[in-house]
Amino acid sequence: MKLIDISKILEAKVYSGEEKLNDLEIDRAGAADMMSDVLAFAKPGMLLITGLNTPQVVRTASIVGIATVVIVRKKQIPAETIQAAKMFGIPLLHSPLPMYTACGVLYAHNLKDIRAF
Amino acid sequence: MKPTVDKLIDQMQMLFKDLAAKDLMVPNVISISPDRTMEQAKELMRLKKISGLPVVENDILVGLVSIEDIIKALERHRIHDPIYKIMTKNLVVVSPDETLPQIFDKFTRTGFGRFPVVDDQKRLVGIITKEDILRGILEEFRLLYVRDKRRQDVIDGEALNRSLITGEEINKLGADFAFSIDYVEVSLSGVGAARLKDFLKGRGIEEEIARKVAIASYEAETNVVIHSGSSGNIYCFLYPEYIRVRVEDHGKGIEDLDKAMQEGYSTATDQIREMGFGAGMGISNMHRYSDKMVIVSEVGKGVIVEMQFFLKDAANSA
Ligand SMILES: Nc1ncnc2c1ncn2[C@@H]1O[C@H](COP(=O)(O)OP(=O)(O)OP(=O)(O)O)[C@@H](O)[C@H]1O
Ligand SMILES: [Mg+2]
Repeated sequence: MKLIDISKILEAKVYSGEEKLNDLEIDRAGAADMMSDVLAFAKPGMLLITGLNTPQVVRTASIVGIATVVIVRKKQIPAETIQAAKMFGIPLLHSPLPMYTACGVLYAHNLKDIRAF
Repeated sequence: MKPTVDKLIDQMQMLFKDLAAKDLMVPNVISISPDRTMEQAKELMRLKKISGLPVVENDILVGLVSIEDIIKALERHRIHDPIYKIMTKNLVVVSPDETLPQIFDKFTRTGFGRFPVVDDQKRLVGIITKEDILRGILEEFRLLYVRDKRRQDVIDGEALNRSLITGEEINKLGADFAFSIDYVEVSLSGVGAARLKDFLKGRGIEEEIARKVAIASYEAETNVVIHSGSSGNIYCFLYPEYIRVRVEDHGKGIEDLDKAMQEGYSTATDQIREMGFGAGMGISNMHRYSDKMVIVSEVGKGVIVEMQFFLKDAANSA
């Protein structure tokens, strides 16, 4: 699915990576709140849904090759996090949906989990 | 059985009878002032994971809040009361010079789990629990055993400049990549690992391997920032068949490595967990992503993590 469609489904605000919205194809996603969890299971090219909004989450994404980060639950995204996302060239989205719903709607739109990578 | 145990205890008492409260106690006690509320005491105890909190006014020990006091306050709907109204005021204390047999005696007679240590002016100088006594005894034992002397050499001595995996000499000044972990801000952790990944890619290392190295190093770097209480270094060496990474710190070290290596074990605080760390998976991840890994640690001296990552072809032919 195109990132632009994902951003619409998630009713998300795009904080970084606007230029990739129309081109980036995502077909796998996962959700986690612990950095070590992400490091353990994440696969290159996937989309990560997380309740964390620290700059680390972007740094972690860059290290494991996560293609897009979607932050849920948080009211605000710190400027450092947005800055880090721009620096690493990682699209950063902020969705007002609860984590469960965000995962659910993406799953319903045929986004796969990371098992069969 | 019993007589043997008694004899053993007698012998132990002989060995350790000179240990005094001041050697065993934990200084820098977390304490609270009497005008705070019980609710605040409860929060502090939860955050610091402690079950008793000394109450101190102008350095002088005036009381103690225990879990029992908290429960009582909750039951009586007095959790918003100031501490001085509820705290235990009749305290059994220990002086810094009291010796192990005397302290033991107090533990058995009172059944309390902890004693504040106060000087002759009633100032709180430390706290002592049964655990501290056990640790003190183990510490003494450590001095008695040669085996531990040898382990100490790993961190102190010449072995620092040898590979923990292959034993060959390594020259850290000649490392292909070096990064100094000299910050304490958790939000910066991973900066070194991200640089290392860029460096490896610049050297033409395959993405997949660079990624493994970066993930494992990220975990080690984060541990230095979160747990060590000191600064540290990342070194990376490139060899024809493999990549070697060393992450070293000079901090407080790991008391029980076996425990620390278990997945899910973590000493991280709630605050750290809120930032996404503290799943207790870091060391497991290092293990998962590296081909060989050794950790050595000495309490009070630091931690060294060494990892090897085989380059593809070498791994296949090995
Ligand atoms: N460099 C270090 N200095 C002191 N203690 C350490 C160090 N590294 C690890 N530890 C101890 O080992 C425990 C386990 O470490 P590990 O990395 O596996 O988990 P964690 O850091 O607590 O959580 P996570 O890595 O999942 O965020 C830590 O909680 C800590 O008590
Ligand atoms: Mg860790």
